[in-house]
Amino acid sequence: MKELLQIGLQIGGWSLVGLSIGSFWIPKALGWREKLAGLTPLMRELWWTYSIYVWASHVFFAVLTLGFGDWLMGGSGSAMAMGTFMLLWWSVRLWLQFFGFDLSEIGESTSNRVAKHLLTALFVGLVVLFAGLLGWNVGWLNEGGLG
Amino acid sequence: MNAQTLELGLRAAGIILTGLVVANFVAAKRFGYARNLAGAEVMVRQIFHVHCAYIIGIIAALAVLCLGWPQLLLEDRMGRVFCGFFGLFWGSWVVVQLTYYDHEARRQDRAWDVFFLGVFAVLSAVFTLAALVK
Repeated sequence: MKELLQIGLQIGGWSLVGLSIGSFWIPKALGWREKLAGLTPLMRELWWTYSIYVWASHVFFAVLTLGFGDWLMGGSGSAMAMGTFMLLWWSVRLWLQFFGFDLSEIGESTSNRVAKHLLTALFVGLVVLFAGLLGWNVGWLNEGGLG
Repeated sequence: MNAQTLELGLRAAGIILTGLVVANFVAAKRFGYARNLAGAEVMVRQIFHVHCAYIIGIIAALAVLCLGWPQLLLEDRMGRVFCGFFGLFWGSWVVVQLTYYDHEARRQDRAWDVFFLGVFAVLSAVFTLAALVK
């Protein structure tokens, strides 16, 4: 189980790197600049500021997952807190993907459909990964636990 | 500076962060988020609300950590890495407010502008100190 989680952390980490790089295309693909033109300057600035901070959080998660896997699996209180936070983060994002966002405004092109399915798969994978990590840290999945 | 002082500083940061969570809801009303977004496309509104909620979520989680378990941020190397990240997080917010936010909007609320600059600077200082001081 330990090896499986270690591989999962590497895959999850590189997927987050991919998401962070891919995020640079989202504003163009969804025409954010044109769609935000009608907002007041302050609202536009808040929009971009919040978007960049959320993006920076994804980069931080990628760094943690790729560079500090041993710590994340170490079972310390801070590792469990961080793992639980990331599990909550991606669970909410997965819920939004199915029930929150109204995607009817986005064109039904092949690339958009592929991107949507890839994102859904990524969010499902990240929820499974961080749920597994939590299970490992509380002792359900390691030796002596369920695994 | 010893661990006890840093722990106290982090608890104080927790109180400030709790205030920031509340302030976000006040700001939504004060700046008329709903009114300003009313004419925008559904996707624009939804993404704004989601990003806003995630930022509030980060601040609230950090507030809980600082108020309830500040020692976790000081006990090992990773705790220091977190503190470093949040030192940068709040320091960059000072820069954003000074250089990016609409100058006219800031001028109209100068007292709050200065207040929040101070709040972000203090938070950045506390977390940076917690990251650097052994």
